[in-house]
Amino acid sequence: MVAIEAAGLSKRYRDRLAVDDLSFTAEPGEVLGLLGPNGAGKTTTIRLLTTLLRPSAGTFSVAGVPASEPGRLRQRIGVLPESAGYPGQQTGREYLLYHARLFGLPRTEARRVAEDLLDQVGLAERAGSRIATYSRGMRQRLGIARALVNDPAVVFLDEPTLGLDPAGQRQMLALVGEIALRRRATVVLSTHALAEVESACSTVLILDRGRALAAGTIADVTRSVGAHRLSEAFLALTEAGRP
Amino acid sequence: MNRWVVVARQEIRDLWLGGRGPTLVFAFSVLLSAMTYLSATNRGLNFLEQREAVNLTLQVAIAVGVLATMVVAADAISGERERHTLEALLLTPVPRRDIALGKLVSTLTLWAACVVVSMPYLWVLGRSTAVLGQAVVLIALVGTLVAVGLTGVALLVSALSDSNKTSLAVSLFVLLALFAPTQLPGMPKSWVGDLLVRVNPLASGMHYLSALMLNRHTWRQDLSYLLSPALTVLLTTTVFVIAAPRLIRLTRATS
Repeated sequence: MVAIEAAGLSKRYRDRLAVDDLSFTAEPGEVLGLLGPNGAGKTTTIRLLTTLLRPSAGTFSVAGVPASEPGRLRQRIGVLPESAGYPGQQTGREYLLYHARLFGLPRTEARRVAEDLLDQVGLAERAGSRIATYSRGMRQRLGIARALVNDPAVVFLDEPTLGLDPAGQRQMLALVGEIALRRRATVVLSTHALAEVESACSTVLILDRGRALAAGTIADVTRSVGAHRLSEAFLALTEAGRP
Repeated sequence: MNRWVVVARQEIRDLWLGGRGPTLVFAFSVLLSAMTYLSATNRGLNFLEQREAVNLTLQVAIAVGVLATMVVAADAISGERERHTLEALLLTPVPRRDIALGKLVSTLTLWAACVVVSMPYLWVLGRSTAVLGQAVVLIALVGTLVAVGLTGVALLVSALSDSNKTSLAVSLFVLLALFAPTQLPGMPKSWVGDLLVRVNPLASGMHYLSALMLNRHTWRQDLSYLLSPALTVLLTTTVFVIAAPRLIRLTRATS
Protein backbone atom coordinates (compact mmCIF):
# COMPACT_ATOMS: atom_id res chain seq x y z
CA MET A 1 0.00 0.00 0.00
CA VAL A 2 1.38 3.43 -0.92
CA ALA A 3 1.37 6.07 1.81
CA ILE A 4 0.32 8.95 -0.46
CA GLU A 5 -1.24 8.74 -3.89
CA ALA A 6 -2.27 11.91 -5.74
CA ALA A 7 -3.73 11.85 -9.24
CA GLY A 8 -4.39 14.97 -11.31
CA LEU A 9 -4.66 17.16 -8.22
CA SER A 10 -5.47 20.80 -8.98
CA LYS A 11 -6.44 23.85 -6.94
CA ARG A 12 -7.74 26.99 -8.55
CA TYR A 13 -8.34 30.34 -6.82
CA ARG A 14 -10.49 32.30 -9.25
CA ASP A 15 -8.11 32.92 -12.19
CA ARG A 16 -4.96 31.58 -10.50
CA LEU A 17 -3.97 27.95 -10.62
CA ALA A 18 -2.07 27.23 -7.37
CA VAL A 19 -1.66 23.50 -8.03
CA ASP A 20 -1.90 22.17 -11.57
CA ASP A 21 -2.55 18.51 -12.39
CA LEU A 22 -0.22 17.13 -9.72
CA SER A 23 0.32 13.37 -9.62
CA PHE A 24 2.79 11.53 -7.40
CA THR A 25 3.13 8.69 -4.90
CA ALA A 26 5.10 8.19 -1.69
CA GLU A 27 5.97 4.89 -0.05
CA PRO A 28 5.68 4.04 3.66
CA GLY A 29 8.78 5.10 5.64
CA GLU A 30 9.91 7.45 2.86
CA VAL A 31 11.08 11.01 3.57
CA LEU A 32 9.83 13.04 0.62
CA GLY A 33 11.27 16.51 0.15
CA LEU A 34 8.76 18.95 -1.33
CA LEU A 35 10.93 21.56 -3.04
CA GLY A 36 10.11 24.71 -4.89
CA PRO A 37 10.59 28.47 -4.99
CA ASN A 38 8.15 30.86 -3.26
CA GLY A 39 4.65 30.48 -4.67
CA ALA A 40 5.41 27.06 -6.15
CA GLY A 41 2.35 25.52 -4.48
CA LYS A 42 4.06 23.57 -1.67
CA THR A 43 1.82 24.81 1.14
CA THR A 44 -1.31 24.49 -1.02
CA THR A 45 -0.33 20.89 -1.85
CA ILE A 46 0.07 20.10 1.85
CA ARG A 47 -3.24 21.79 2.68
CA LEU A 48 -4.96 19.75 -0.03
CA LEU A 49 -3.47 16.48 1.19
CA THR A 50 -4.37 17.28 4.79
CA THR A 51 -8.00 18.10 3.83
CA LEU A 52 -7.82 21.77 4.86
CA LEU A 53 -8.58 22.72 1.26
CA ARG A 54 -10.85 21.01 -1.22
CA PRO A 55 -9.24 20.26 -4.59
CA SER A 56 -10.74 21.83 -7.73
CA ALA A 57 -9.95 18.61 -9.58
CA GLY A 58 -8.24 15.28 -9.03
CA THR A 59 -8.22 12.66 -6.30
CA PHE A 60 -5.85 11.54 -3.58
CA SER A 61 -5.51 9.15 -0.69
CA VAL A 62 -3.26 9.38 2.34
CA ALA A 63 -2.41 6.36 4.52
CA GLY A 64 -4.90 4.37 2.46
CA VAL A 65 -7.78 6.69 3.31
CA PRO A 66 -9.48 8.45 0.39
CA ALA A 67 -10.06 12.21 0.37
CA SER A 68 -13.80 11.57 0.59
CA GLU A 69 -13.34 10.62 4.28
CA PRO A 70 -11.62 13.70 5.73
CA GLY A 71 -12.31 12.86 9.38
CA ARG A 72 -10.79 9.39 9.09
CA LEU A 73 -7.90 10.75 7.02
CA ARG A 74 -7.04 13.40 9.64
CA GLN A 75 -6.99 10.63 12.25
CA ARG A 76 -4.05 9.04 10.37
CA ILE A 77 -1.91 12.10 9.70
CA GLY A 78 0.20 14.56 11.67
CA VAL A 79 0.91 18.08 10.46
CA LEU A 80 3.25 20.90 11.42
CA PRO A 81 1.81 23.85 9.51
CA GLU A 82 3.92 26.71 8.21
CA SER A 83 4.02 29.57 10.77
CA ALA A 84 1.82 27.67 13.20
CA GLY A 85 0.50 29.64 16.16
CA TYR A 86 0.46 28.41 19.75
CA PRO A 87 -1.75 29.42 22.66
CA GLY A 88 0.74 31.30 24.82
CA GLN A 89 -1.23 30.85 28.05
CA GLN A 90 -1.14 27.04 27.87
CA THR A 91 1.80 24.96 29.05
CA GLY A 92 3.51 22.57 26.65
CA ARG A 93 2.08 19.61 28.57
CA GLU A 94 -1.43 21.03 28.57
CA TYR A 95 -1.24 21.75 24.83
CA LEU A 96 -0.21 18.20 23.93
CA LEU A 97 -2.72 16.68 26.34
CA TYR A 98 -5.50 18.74 24.73
CA HIS A 99 -4.56 17.66 21.21
CA ALA A 100 -4.20 14.02 22.22
CA ARG A 101 -7.73 14.22 23.68
CA LEU A 102 -8.99 15.78 20.43
CA PHE A 103 -7.69 12.68 18.65
CA GLY A 104 -9.85 10.58 20.95
CA LEU A 105 -7.25 9.30 23.42
CA PRO A 106 -8.52 8.60 26.95
CA ARG A 107 -7.15 10.97 29.60
CA THR A 108 -4.52 8.62 31.11
CA GLU A 109 -3.30 7.49 27.70
CA ALA A 110 -3.20 11.10 26.49
CA ARG A 111 -1.14 12.08 29.52
CA ARG A 112 1.34 9.25 28.89
CA VAL A 113 1.66 10.14 25.18
CA ALA A 114 2.17 13.82 26.02
CA GLU A 115 4.93 13.06 28.53
CA ASP A 116 6.68 10.64 26.12
CA LEU A 117 6.60 13.14 23.26
CA LEU A 118 7.80 16.02 25.42
CA ASP A 119 10.73 13.80 26.39
CA GLN A 120 11.43 12.81 22.77
CA VAL A 121 11.56 16.40 21.52
CA GLY A 122 13.66 17.53 24.48
CA LEU A 123 11.02 19.63 26.21
CA ALA A 124 10.48 17.49 29.31
CA GLU A 125 12.10 20.06 31.60
CA ARG A 126 9.96 22.90 30.25
CA ALA A 127 6.72 20.88 30.04
CA GLY A 128 5.09 22.91 32.81
CA SER A 129 6.13 26.32 31.44
CA ARG A 130 3.78 28.52 29.44
CA ILE A 131 4.29 28.31 25.68
CA ALA A 132 4.63 32.12 25.65
CA THR A 133 8.02 31.66 27.32
CA TYR A 134 9.29 29.18 24.69
CA SER A 135 11.86 30.11 22.04
CA ARG A 136 11.02 29.64 18.35
CA GLY A 137 12.98 26.39 18.25
CA MET A 138 11.12 25.06 21.29
CA ARG A 139 7.79 25.97 19.70
CA GLN A 140 8.74 24.15 16.50
CA ARG A 141 9.68 21.06 18.52
CA LEU A 142 6.39 21.31 20.40
CA GLY A 143 4.66 21.54 17.02
CA ILE A 144 6.38 18.33 15.91
CA ALA A 145 5.32 16.65 19.15
CA ARG A 146 1.75 17.77 18.51
CA ALA A 147 1.93 16.31 14.99
CA LEU A 148 2.84 12.95 16.53
CA VAL A 149 0.19 12.68 19.30
CA ASN A 150 -1.96 10.33 17.22
CA ASP A 151 0.95 8.12 16.10
CA PRO A 152 0.37 9.13 12.45
CA ALA A 153 1.18 7.04 9.39
CA VAL A 154 2.05 10.16 7.39
CA VAL A 155 3.60 13.36 8.77
CA PHE A 156 3.56 16.66 6.88
CA LEU A 157 6.12 19.26 7.94
CA ASP A 158 5.79 22.63 6.27
CA GLU A 159 9.02 24.63 6.54
CA PRO A 160 9.92 23.20 9.98
CA THR A 161 13.34 24.87 10.07
CA LEU A 162 12.17 28.35 9.09
CA GLY A 163 13.63 30.96 11.44
CA LEU A 164 15.76 28.47 13.39
CA ASP A 165 19.47 28.91 14.08
CA PRO A 166 21.89 26.29 12.63
CA ALA A 167 21.81 24.20 15.82
CA GLY A 168 18.02 24.29 15.85
CA GLN A 169 17.91 23.29 12.19
CA ARG A 170 20.22 20.34 12.84
CA GLN A 171 18.08 19.24 15.80
CA MET A 172 14.92 19.51 13.69
CA LEU A 173 16.37 17.42 10.85
CA ALA A 174 17.52 14.79 13.34
CA LEU A 175 13.93 14.64 14.61
CA VAL A 176 12.63 14.19 11.07
CA GLY A 177 15.01 11.26 10.56
CA GLU A 178 13.91 9.70 13.83
CA ILE A 179 10.23 9.96 12.90
CA ALA A 180 10.81 8.05 9.67
CA LEU A 181 13.18 5.52 11.19
CA ARG A 182 11.65 4.74 14.59
CA ARG A 183 8.00 5.29 13.81
CA ARG A 184 8.20 4.06 10.20
CA ALA A 185 6.04 7.01 9.21
CA THR A 186 6.15 8.65 5.79
CA VAL A 187 7.39 12.23 6.11
CA VAL A 188 6.63 15.00 3.64
CA LEU A 189 9.11 17.79 4.27
CA SER A 190 8.41 21.08 2.56
CA THR A 191 11.40 23.40 2.49
CA HIS A 192 13.40 25.98 0.58
CA ALA A 193 16.70 24.66 1.87
CA LEU A 194 18.27 22.22 -0.58
CA ALA A 195 20.93 21.15 1.90
CA GLU A 196 18.18 19.99 4.25
CA VAL A 197 16.63 17.89 1.51
CA GLU A 198 19.98 16.34 0.62
CA SER A 199 20.65 15.40 4.23
CA ALA A 200 17.19 14.28 5.33
CA CYS A 201 15.18 13.11 2.31
CA SER A 202 15.22 9.91 0.34
CA THR A 203 13.12 11.28 -2.53
CA VAL A 204 12.15 14.72 -3.85
CA LEU A 205 9.26 16.33 -5.64
CA ILE A 206 10.17 19.64 -7.27
CA LEU A 207 7.29 22.05 -7.85
CA ASP A 208 7.16 25.32 -9.71
CA ARG A 209 4.06 27.44 -10.36
CA GLY A 210 1.87 24.56 -9.21
CA ARG A 211 3.31 21.96 -11.55
CA ALA A 212 5.56 18.99 -10.76
CA LEU A 213 8.87 19.45 -12.60
CA ALA A 214 10.63 16.34 -11.34
CA ALA A 215 10.11 13.49 -8.91
CA GLY A 216 12.21 10.57 -7.73
CA THR A 217 15.32 9.88 -5.72
CA ILE A 218 17.82 12.71 -5.39
CA ALA A 219 20.29 10.82 -7.61
CA ASP A 220 17.66 10.23 -10.31
CA VAL A 221 16.49 13.86 -10.34
CA THR A 222 20.06 15.19 -10.44
CA ARG A 223 21.03 12.80 -13.23
CA SER A 224 17.90 13.54 -15.29
CA VAL A 225 19.06 17.11 -16.00
CA GLY A 226 22.74 16.27 -16.29
CA ALA A 227 23.66 18.02 -13.02
CA HIS A 228 26.09 16.95 -10.31
CA ARG A 229 24.25 18.33 -7.29
CA LEU A 230 20.60 18.80 -6.31
CA SER A 231 21.02 22.57 -6.16
CA GLU A 232 22.20 22.65 -9.78
CA ALA A 233 19.32 20.43 -10.85
CA PHE A 234 16.85 22.59 -8.91
CA LEU A 235 18.05 25.80 -10.56
CA ALA A 236 18.15 24.19 -14.01
CA LEU A 237 14.57 22.97 -13.62
CA THR A 238 13.01 26.03 -12.02
CA GLU A 239 14.77 28.67 -14.12
CA ALA A 240 14.27 26.87 -17.44
CA GLY A 241 10.83 28.32 -18.14
CA ARG A 242 11.48 31.83 -16.79
CA PRO A 243 12.06 34.90 -18.97
CA MET B 1 -16.23 11.39 25.72
CA ASN B 2 -17.81 13.64 23.12
CA ARG B 3 -15.14 15.73 21.44
CA TRP B 4 -17.13 18.95 21.80
CA VAL B 5 -16.78 18.46 25.56
CA VAL B 6 -12.98 18.30 25.15
CA VAL B 7 -13.05 21.53 23.12
CA ALA B 8 -15.42 23.21 25.60
CA ARG B 9 -13.29 22.21 28.62
CA GLN B 10 -10.11 23.63 27.13
CA GLU B 11 -11.86 26.80 25.97
CA ILE B 12 -13.33 27.26 29.45
CA ARG B 13 -9.86 26.86 30.99
CA ASP B 14 -8.42 29.40 28.54
CA LEU B 15 -11.27 31.84 29.18
CA TRP B 16 -11.17 31.68 32.97
CA LEU B 17 -7.53 30.90 33.75
CA GLY B 18 -6.27 33.12 30.91
CA GLY B 19 -7.82 36.10 32.70
CA ARG B 20 -10.32 37.30 30.08
CA GLY B 21 -13.36 35.88 31.85
CA PRO B 22 -12.56 37.29 35.32
CA THR B 23 -11.73 40.71 33.80
CA LEU B 24 -15.05 40.92 31.96
CA VAL B 25 -17.02 39.73 34.99
CA PHE B 26 -15.21 42.30 37.15
CA ALA B 27 -16.13 45.08 34.69
CA PHE B 28 -19.69 43.76 34.64
CA SER B 29 -19.94 43.85 38.44
CA VAL B 30 -18.49 47.38 38.63
CA LEU B 31 -21.11 48.60 36.17
CA LEU B 32 -23.90 46.79 37.95
CA SER B 33 -22.73 48.20 41.30
CA ALA B 34 -23.01 51.72 39.96
CA MET B 35 -26.40 50.95 38.44
CA THR B 36 -27.70 49.39 41.65
CA TYR B 37 -26.42 52.31 43.72
CA LEU B 38 -28.21 54.80 41.45
CA SER B 39 -31.42 52.72 41.46
CA ALA B 40 -31.34 52.34 45.25
CA THR B 41 -30.78 56.07 45.86
CA ASN B 42 -33.53 56.97 43.37
CA ARG B 43 -35.85 54.56 45.11
CA GLY B 44 -34.88 56.08 48.47
CA LEU B 45 -35.90 59.46 47.12
CA ASN B 46 -39.16 57.96 45.79
CA PHE B 47 -38.16 58.65 42.17
CA LEU B 48 -38.42 54.95 41.36
CA GLU B 49 -40.74 52.23 42.60
CA GLN B 50 -39.18 49.01 43.79
CA ARG B 51 -40.40 47.15 40.71
CA GLU B 52 -38.98 49.83 38.43
CA ALA B 53 -35.61 49.70 40.17
CA VAL B 54 -35.41 45.90 39.84
CA ASN B 55 -36.57 46.03 36.21
CA LEU B 56 -33.97 48.67 35.33
CA THR B 57 -31.13 46.71 36.92
CA LEU B 58 -32.37 43.48 35.32
CA GLN B 59 -32.37 45.08 31.87
CA VAL B 60 -28.89 46.52 32.34
CA ALA B 61 -27.64 43.15 33.62
CA ILE B 62 -28.97 41.40 30.53
CA ALA B 63 -27.69 44.02 28.07
CA VAL B 64 -24.20 44.20 29.59
CA GLY B 65 -24.00 40.44 30.21
CA VAL B 66 -24.89 39.80 26.57
CA LEU B 67 -22.33 42.42 25.51
CA ALA B 68 -19.55 40.67 27.47
CA THR B 69 -20.57 37.28 26.08
CA MET B 70 -20.65 38.62 22.51
CA VAL B 71 -17.17 40.13 22.92
CA VAL B 72 -15.81 36.65 23.76
CA ALA B 73 -17.83 34.94 21.00
CA ALA B 74 -16.68 37.47 18.40
CA ASP B 75 -13.08 36.41 19.09
CA ALA B 76 -13.75 32.67 19.16
CA ILE B 77 -13.01 31.80 15.52
CA SER B 78 -11.61 34.93 13.86
CA GLY B 79 -9.25 35.38 16.83
CA GLU B 80 -7.89 31.87 16.35
CA ARG B 81 -7.45 32.62 12.65
CA GLU B 82 -5.45 35.74 13.46
CA ARG B 83 -3.31 33.96 16.05
CA HIS B 84 -2.73 31.07 13.57
CA THR B 85 -4.01 28.53 16.10
CA LEU B 86 -7.10 27.51 14.13
CA GLU B 87 -5.15 25.39 11.64
CA ALA B 88 -3.99 22.94 14.32
CA LEU B 89 -7.57 22.58 15.52
CA LEU B 90 -8.89 22.00 12.00
CA LEU B 91 -6.25 19.31 11.45
CA THR B 92 -7.77 17.15 14.18
CA PRO B 93 -10.59 14.72 13.36
CA VAL B 94 -13.03 16.75 15.48
CA PRO B 95 -16.09 17.64 13.35
CA ARG B 96 -16.46 21.38 12.74
CA ARG B 97 -19.87 21.51 14.37
CA ASP B 98 -18.33 20.03 17.54
CA ILE B 99 -15.75 22.83 17.47
CA ALA B 100 -18.57 25.39 17.15
CA LEU B 101 -20.59 23.76 19.94
CA GLY B 102 -17.57 23.59 22.27
CA LYS B 103 -16.84 27.26 21.69
CA LEU B 104 -20.48 28.26 22.18
CA VAL B 105 -20.75 26.35 25.47
CA SER B 106 -17.51 27.81 26.82
CA THR B 107 -18.60 31.35 25.87
CA LEU B 108 -21.91 30.85 27.62
CA THR B 109 -20.12 30.13 30.92
CA LEU B 110 -19.40 33.88 30.94
CA TRP B 111 -23.13 34.56 30.67
CA ALA B 112 -23.75 32.09 33.51
CA ALA B 113 -21.20 33.97 35.62
CA CYS B 114 -22.94 37.27 34.82
CA VAL B 115 -26.28 35.77 35.97
CA VAL B 116 -24.71 34.59 39.24
CA VAL B 117 -23.03 37.97 39.82
CA SER B 118 -26.36 39.76 39.20
CA MET B 119 -28.09 37.89 42.02
CA PRO B 120 -26.87 39.97 45.01
CA TYR B 121 -27.73 43.20 43.20
CA LEU B 122 -31.24 42.00 42.44
CA TRP B 123 -31.57 40.85 46.05
CA VAL B 124 -30.52 44.27 47.37
CA LEU B 125 -33.16 46.01 45.28
CA GLY B 126 -35.98 43.48 45.42
CA ARG B 127 -35.61 41.74 48.80
CA SER B 128 -38.66 40.90 50.84
CA THR B 129 -40.98 41.17 47.81
CA ALA B 130 -42.30 38.71 45.24
CA VAL B 131 -40.56 40.72 42.51
CA LEU B 132 -37.19 39.23 43.50
CA GLY B 133 -38.19 35.66 42.59
CA GLN B 134 -39.70 36.88 39.35
CA ALA B 135 -36.52 38.78 38.46
CA VAL B 136 -34.33 35.74 39.16
CA VAL B 137 -36.46 33.48 36.97
CA LEU B 138 -36.59 36.09 34.22
CA ILE B 139 -32.83 36.63 34.01
CA ALA B 140 -32.26 32.87 34.08
CA LEU B 141 -34.81 32.07 31.37
CA VAL B 142 -35.41 35.12 29.17
CA GLY B 143 -31.90 36.49 29.64
CA THR B 144 -30.38 33.13 28.75
CA LEU B 145 -32.59 32.80 25.67
CA VAL B 146 -31.45 36.23 24.43
CA ALA B 147 -27.82 35.53 25.37
CA VAL B 148 -27.70 32.17 23.54
CA GLY B 149 -29.24 33.68 20.40
CA LEU B 150 -26.96 36.71 20.24
CA THR B 151 -23.87 34.69 21.18
CA GLY B 152 -24.71 32.43 18.23
CA VAL B 153 -24.93 35.51 16.01
CA ALA B 154 -21.52 36.76 17.23
CA LEU B 155 -20.02 33.30 16.65
CA LEU B 156 -21.42 33.33 13.14
CA VAL B 157 -19.93 36.77 12.51
CA SER B 158 -16.62 35.49 13.87
CA ALA B 159 -16.71 32.50 11.50
CA LEU B 160 -17.38 34.81 8.56
CA SER B 161 -14.63 37.32 9.43
CA ASP B 162 -10.96 37.06 8.58
CA SER B 163 -10.10 39.89 10.94
CA ASN B 164 -10.79 39.92 14.65
CA LYS B 165 -11.38 43.68 14.57
CA THR B 166 -14.07 43.27 11.90
CA SER B 167 -15.75 40.51 13.87
CA LEU B 168 -15.77 42.56 17.08
CA ALA B 169 -16.95 45.74 15.33
CA VAL B 170 -19.79 43.98 13.48
CA SER B 171 -20.93 42.12 16.62
CA LEU B 172 -20.96 45.31 18.70
CA PHE B 173 -22.79 47.17 15.96
CA VAL B 174 -25.43 44.42 15.83
CA LEU B 175 -25.88 44.61 19.60
CA LEU B 176 -26.09 48.40 19.54
CA ALA B 177 -28.59 48.35 16.68
CA LEU B 178 -30.73 45.85 18.57
CA PHE B 179 -30.39 47.65 21.91
CA ALA B 180 -31.12 51.21 20.69
CA PRO B 181 -34.88 50.64 20.14
CA THR B 182 -35.27 49.44 23.74
CA GLN B 183 -34.37 52.97 24.86
CA LEU B 184 -37.08 54.64 22.75
CA PRO B 185 -40.18 55.43 24.80
CA GLY B 186 -43.52 53.86 23.84
CA MET B 187 -42.19 51.81 20.92
CA PRO B 188 -44.93 49.15 20.72
CA LYS B 189 -47.83 51.63 20.76
CA SER B 190 -48.27 51.69 16.96
CA TRP B 191 -48.36 48.49 14.90
CA VAL B 192 -45.09 49.46 13.19
CA GLY B 193 -43.44 49.98 16.57
CA ASP B 194 -44.84 46.69 17.81
CA LEU B 195 -43.53 44.89 14.71
CA LEU B 196 -40.07 46.43 15.19
CA VAL B 197 -40.02 45.22 18.78
CA ARG B 198 -41.24 41.75 17.85
CA VAL B 199 -38.56 41.16 15.17
CA ASN B 200 -35.78 42.39 17.44
CA PRO B 201 -34.68 39.54 19.75
CA LEU B 202 -33.23 41.89 22.36
CA ALA B 203 -36.05 44.46 22.34
CA SER B 204 -38.77 41.80 22.42
CA GLY B 205 -37.05 40.03 25.33
CA MET B 206 -36.80 43.33 27.22
CA HIS B 207 -40.42 44.11 26.40
CA TYR B 208 -41.47 40.78 27.87
CA LEU B 209 -39.52 41.54 31.06
CA SER B 210 -41.09 44.98 31.43
CA ALA B 211 -44.56 43.63 30.79
CA LEU B 212 -44.16 41.19 33.67
CA MET B 213 -42.22 43.40 36.04
CA LEU B 214 -43.92 46.75 35.54
CA ASN B 215 -47.36 46.03 34.05
CA ARG B 216 -47.83 42.89 36.16
CA HIS B 217 -48.85 40.81 33.16
CA THR B 218 -49.05 37.06 33.59
CA TRP B 219 -46.23 34.79 32.31
CA ARG B 220 -48.35 33.67 29.35
CA GLN B 221 -49.85 37.02 28.37
CA ASP B 222 -46.91 38.30 26.28
CA LEU B 223 -45.29 34.98 25.49
CA SER B 224 -45.43 35.70 21.74
CA TYR B 225 -42.72 38.33 22.31
CA LEU B 226 -40.28 35.51 23.05
CA LEU B 227 -40.72 34.13 19.56
CA SER B 228 -37.99 36.38 18.16
CA PRO B 229 -35.22 35.36 20.62
CA ALA B 230 -36.30 31.72 20.33
CA LEU B 231 -36.13 31.92 16.53
CA THR B 232 -32.67 33.52 16.74
CA VAL B 233 -31.46 30.55 18.79
CA LEU B 234 -33.06 28.12 16.33
CA LEU B 235 -31.70 29.92 13.28
CA THR B 236 -28.09 30.20 14.45
CA THR B 237 -28.12 26.58 15.66
CA THR B 238 -29.49 25.39 12.31
CA VAL B 239 -26.89 27.41 10.40
CA PHE B 240 -24.06 25.86 12.43
CA VAL B 241 -25.47 22.32 12.23
CA ILE B 242 -25.88 22.52 8.46
CA ALA B 243 -23.03 24.79 7.40
CA ALA B 244 -20.30 24.40 10.05
CA PRO B 245 -17.83 22.69 7.66
CA ARG B 246 -18.16 25.63 5.24
CA LEU B 247 -18.10 28.29 7.97
CA ILE B 248 -15.20 27.12 10.12
CA ARG B 249 -12.33 27.21 7.68
CA LEU B 250 -8.73 28.27 7.63
CA THR B 251 -9.58 31.59 6.03
CA ARG B 252 -12.95 32.98 5.04
CA ALA B 253 -11.90 32.98 1.37
CA THR B 254 -10.54 29.43 1.06
CA SER B 255 -12.48 26.22 0.63
